[in-house]
Amino acid sequence: MKISLDWISDYVDINDIPVDVVADRLTMCTAEVEDVLEVRRSVAQVVVGEVIDCRDIPAAPNLKLVTVDCGTRRFQTVCGAPNVRKGLKAPFAPPGTRLANGVEIAVAEVSGHRSEGVLCSPAELGMSRWHEGLLECPPSLPNGAPLAQWIPDRDVLIEIDNKSLTHRPDLWGHYGFARELAAIFRRPLRPLPVVDLSQYDHLPTYPLTVDDYENCPCYGCIDLRVRAGVPAPLVIQRRLHALGQRTFNLMVDLTNYIMWEIGQPTHAFDGDRVHAIRVAPLGKPGTFVTLDGQERQLLPDDLLIWNEKEPVALAGVMGGLESEVTPTTTHVLLESANFKASRIRRTSVRLDLRTEAAQRFEKGQPPVNVKIGTARALQCLIDSGEPFEVLSRFTVAGDLKEAPRPLSIPWRTVDTMAGQKIPRQEAVGILRHLGFLAEEKGETLEVGIPAHRSEKDISIPADVVEEILRIYGYDRIEPRLPEGPMAALPVNVGLRKEHQARRVLAGAHGFVEVQNYVWLDDNWLAELGYQPGETLTLKNPPAQTCRRLRPVLLPNLLALVRPNRAHRDMFRIFEIGRVFRPQANDGCEERTHLAGVSFRSSGKGDQEEHFRSIRGALEDLGAVLTGQALRFVAGQDSPFPWCVPGYWVKILLGDTTVGAAGVLDPVLARVVALEGQVVWFELDLEAIQAPIYPVVHYRPLAVYPRSWQDFSLLWDVTKGFDSLEAVLSKFQHPLISEREFLYVFKGKGLPQGQASYTFRYWLAAPDHTLTGEEIEGFRTAFLSFLQENGISLR
Amino acid sequence: MDEILEQLRRDVAAATDSKQVEQVRVKYLGRKGIITTLAKNTDFSRLSSEEKRSFGQRLNALKSEAEQLLKEALEKAKAAEKDLVRKVAGLDLSLPGIDRRLGSIHPIALVQMELEEIFQGMGFRVLTGYEVELEYYNFDALNIPPDHPARDMQDTFWLDNGMLLRTHTSANQVRALETYGVPLRAIFPGRCFRNEAIDASHENTFYQLEGLLVDRDISVAHLIAVMKTLLSQVFKREVTVRLRPGFFPFVEPGFELDVQCLICGGKGCATCKQTGWIELIPCGLVHPKVLEFGRVDPNIYSGFAFGMGLTRMAMMKFGIPDIRLFNSGDIRFYEQFPAAF
Ligand SMILES: [Zn+2]
Repeated sequence: MKISLDWISDYVDINDIPVDVVADRLTMCTAEVEDVLEVRRSVAQVVVGEVIDCRDIPAAPNLKLVTVDCGTRRFQTVCGAPNVRKGLKAPFAPPGTRLANGVEIAVAEVSGHRSEGVLCSPAELGMSRWHEGLLECPPSLPNGAPLAQWIPDRDVLIEIDNKSLTHRPDLWGHYGFARELAAIFRRPLRPLPVVDLSQYDHLPTYPLTVDDYENCPCYGCIDLRVRAGVPAPLVIQRRLHALGQRTFNLMVDLTNYIMWEIGQPTHAFDGDRVHAIRVAPLGKPGTFVTLDGQERQLLPDDLLIWNEKEPVALAGVMGGLESEVTPTTTHVLLESANFKASRIRRTSVRLDLRTEAAQRFEKGQPPVNVKIGTARALQCLIDSGEPFEVLSRFTVAGDLKEAPRPLSIPWRTVDTMAGQKIPRQEAVGILRHLGFLAEEKGETLEVGIPAHRSEKDISIPADVVEEILRIYGYDRIEPRLPEGPMAALPVNVGLRKEHQARRVLAGAHGFVEVQNYVWLDDNWLAELGYQPGETLTLKNPPAQTCRRLRPVLLPNLLALVRPNRAHRDMFRIFEIGRVFRPQANDGCEERTHLAGVSFRSSGKGDQEEHFRSIRGALEDLGAVLTGQALRFVAGQDSPFPWCVPGYWVKILLGDTTVGAAGVLDPVLARVVALEGQVVWFELDLEAIQAPIYPVVHYRPLAVYPRSWQDFSLLWDVTKGFDSLEAVLSKFQHPLISEREFLYVFKGKGLPQGQASYTFRYWLAAPDHTLTGEEIEGFRTAFLSFLQENGISLR
Repeated sequence: MDEILEQLRRDVAAATDSKQVEQVRVKYLGRKGIITTLAKNTDFSRLSSEEKRSFGQRLNALKSEAEQLLKEALEKAKAAEKDLVRKVAGLDLSLPGIDRRLGSIHPIALVQMELEEIFQGMGFRVLTGYEVELEYYNFDALNIPPDHPARDMQDTFWLDNGMLLRTHTSANQVRALETYGVPLRAIFPGRCFRNEAIDASHENTFYQLEGLLVDRDISVAHLIAVMKTLLSQVFKREVTVRLRPGFFPFVEPGFELDVQCLICGGKGCATCKQTGWIELIPCGLVHPKVLEFGRVDPNIYSGFAFGMGLTRMAMMKFGIPDIRLFNSGDIRFYEQFPAAF
C-alpha cells in the first residue's frame, strides 16, 4: 500500500516534519514502512488544451492532425493517442517544454506535417507509467490554464508493507493513515467531508433484498442520474496515477478514489441495466463473465449480486461485463456493501482474482463504511462540479453498526500490561486522536470503540491498551526483568538423550550429523524394495511421490550414500529425527529415532571389522545412555529389506528391543552404494529407558599383582562368537578376575570352517600373590573344561 | 709435573667420547696412573722437609687440575653423546595429528543446544512437542479462526487423517499450559513445516524456537528486558533492541522485535539494508483467549511469547547463504561444523 503525502495533507498538516521522521514514526507506531519514493512531475509550461480539430492523415493511419486551442494561442500537432478526438481537453506541452522523460519538445515535421508541441499522456507528465492514451481533463477547465494549478510538480509516497496491515482494514485507505499521523504527532485531524444522506430520505427506496446476511451483513445503494463517462477531476486523477492506478472516467475513478481514501470498495452499475438488487449465493455450479471479459467457473457457495434473476457482479470481487458503466452511461446505481471476509477470500483465492476490492473485504471492513462510502462519493460528485440528480434514497439492508462500542478498562490493566504507570491524560488524548471516545472515570478508563475500527481488530481491553502503548511509544517503556520464586528446572530427558547421542557419535566416533525431510520418496522405496505398510500420508505433498511420512529414518539416510560417495572414500553419518505411525481414530504415534550409516568404498578392511567398529560406537552409546551393556542378538526374518538374516542383529536393553544394526547384503549394497560396503543401525531413543545419571559401583583395586594366561581356541565360525562366549561363561574358577577377548584369527593353517579366538584370563587372589602351583591348577581345570566342551586349543 | 699436565691436556683433547675420557682418567689418576704413582715413585727421604711440603702442594694442585679437566671433558662428551642419541631418534613433532575421531553436529542442533543452555540459565524449561500436530493446537487454540489465511491449503501440509505438520512451534503454547499450568517459563525448539516453494531463502522444513512466560502481572517491560538479556547472551555483547507493532493472532499487543545491527552499530549497511536494524523476533503479550484455551485465568495471569527462527539464527551465526544446505544431505556441508558443545 502506497500513501501519498499530497493526499494526507487534505486531512492533517505534517508538511513541516521531515519525511524520514514521518516514515520512522509510522514504522514504530503503526505499520512497517518499506520505502519512501518521490514523485517528480513535469508540469511547468504545460497548459490545458482543447482539441478543436482532428483529422486523419492518409499516409499514417495511426496518426491524427490536430488543432489545439490553448486560450491565447492555437497549435497544430500530430498525435498518435487512441483517445484523441474533437472536443477533448488534455494537457498540452508547447515547444520548449521539457517532459518527464527528459525530452525537450521542439517543432518537428511528422508524416509531412508541421507538429508544434505535444498532447500529453500521464507518463509524459511523470504522473505514472501509463502512456497508452492522453490524460483527459474535465471540460470545465479553461483552455490555456497552467496545469500546475491542479497537478503539483511533486509528491512523496510512503510504501507500507501490506503484511503489517492484515489486521487493520481501516489502514487500507489514506484517511486511516491521516488519523494515525494525527495521533502520532498530536495534530488535529480534519473530518472527512461527506454529504448528509438523510436529505434524500424522502425519495423512493431502491428495490433491494439480501438473502444471505451471513455473507453480506450490510448492503447499501443509491440511484443516480449522472454522466458517468466524463473525465474525473484532476485532483482525483493525479492521486490515482500516483498510486499506479490508471484512470477511466468520472464514476469508475470516483469509486476507486473512495476505496483508496477510506478502504471501502464501492461499485457503479449501469443504472439502465439493473432494476432491483438481490444478494444471494449462486446455489448451483455455473459461470459468470466478469468485467475483464473472463468467464469464471463458480461454485454454489459463491456470493453474487443479482439484477432480479440475472447475476450482475461477483460480490466483493469484481463486477460483471454486462452491467459495467460505459462512456455513454447517464444512469448509475452506486453500490457500497459489506461482505464477510472469509467468503470473499475463498472465492477470490480460488479464482486467483485478487482484486483491490477483494483484498480489502478480506481484511473485514466495518459495516459503517457502507454509509461513509456513499456519503463521501456524493460529496466528491458535488466537488467535481458535474451536475447529478439523486433518484432514490440511500437504501440499506442490514446493520450499519454506527454506534461506538462501549468498553470499560481498569487503569490497572493499562499499567500492568505496560509494566509502568501510563499518564492518564496522555492515554485519553491518544485514544481521542485515534477517534475513540475516552473518559477517565476514577479507576476506570471508559472507552467507546469507533465504528470505523472493525470488531476483529478492537474488541477486548488488550486491544485498546495496544492502541495507547503503540502511540505512547514502546521506547518509553523501561525494561524490567521478571521476578518470581525459584523453582526446580526439570531436565528434558528426551532432549538430553539426543544431545548425549550427538556427543558420543560426533565427539568420539567421527560421525557427521545430517538431516533429511520427513517424507519418503516412493521411487526410492521401490528401489530399496521396501514396502512400509500403513503410513501417515500428506494430502498436499511437496511432490506427488513424496506422500508418505517416514515410519523409520533409514531409507532417507541410505539415500545419502550414493551422492556422498563421490566426495569421500569412507564416511559415517547419523540423523536424529521424528518418525510417524498411524494410530486408531486418525491418530499419530510420533517417536524420536536415531539412525546411522557407515560407508567404505570396497577394499578398505573387511565387513566384519567394519561392523565391529560401528558396534563399538553403539556400545559406547549404550554405556553413556544407560550405564548398561546393550545386547546384540542375531536377527531373523524381517519386513525391512535391509534386515537379511545373517546380516543383521537386534539391539536390546535388558529384554526390550531398542533397535537394530547390520551390514547391507551384497544385493542391497549394490542398490544403495553401487560399490562398497554399508553398515547401518537404527535405534528408538524413546525405548531406551534408563536413569538420567547411571549408577556406577566402585570395585576395589587389586592389592596383589595379577597374572594372565592367554588361550587361542578353535571354534566354528558359523556358530559365532556369542555361542563361544556362552560356553566360556559357564566356566567358574575363584582365581578369575576378568576374561578379556583379544582377537579373532581366520586364515591359513586352521581346520576348515573354524577360527581361532584368543582370550586372556586375568588371575588374582585378594590376599596374596599367586603361586606357580595355583596358576597351574587353574590351567588344568580350564583345559579339562575345554576338553569336556569339545574345544581344542590352536 | 708441568710436562705431565701438558700431556694430559693433549690426551683429553684427543678423547672423542666418554669411554676414551675414562681411559685417560685411568691412565693418569687410576690406581697405577701416572699422577697416582708419581708420589710412590718419589724418594721422599732425600728431600728436605721444605721440599717435601713444596712437592706435596704441587702434587695436590696437579691432581685437582687433572680432575677438573677430566670432569669437564666427561660432561662435554656425555652431552655430545645425548645429542647424538636424540639425533638418531629423529622425532618430527611438526607432523599433523592422527587418529582424530571428531565428527560434526548439525549446525541447527549446535545453535539449539547453545540457546537451550542460555534459556535454562534464565530459568526456562525446555519442552518438545509434536511435528504431526492437531489442527486445534496449531490454529484454533492460538486464536487463529477457521477462515484465517494461515490455514489455507497452500501454506499448511495437511495429512489425509485430518492432522497437519505443525506450521510453527507456537503450537506448543496451549499444550504446555494444559500440561504444566502456571507460572510457566518454557521454550519449545523444534522442526516446522510450510508448504512453499523452495529457493535459497525459503524451505518447507525449518526450525523455530518458541518461548513462553506466564505469571502474574507480566508486562511489555518484562518482555523487553528478557529479550535484551537473551540477545546479549546470544551475541555475547550488549545489544540495543526496539519493539514496533506487529500482528499475530495469538498475542495482543503483538510486536516485531528489532535488534540494532551488530555489523554497523546502527549506522546502516548492506546487512541491515541501510536501516540500522535487523528484524529478529516476533513476540507479544499472550492473547487472553490463548490463556483461556490453556485453562489459565487471564484476569489473574498474563504472559509473553516469542518466536525465534533457529534456522535463520544458524544462517546468521555461521554465514550460511543458502537455506537448502541444511537438508541437502551433503556431508561436505555438515563436516564444517565440528562437534563443539
Ligand atoms: Zn547494519
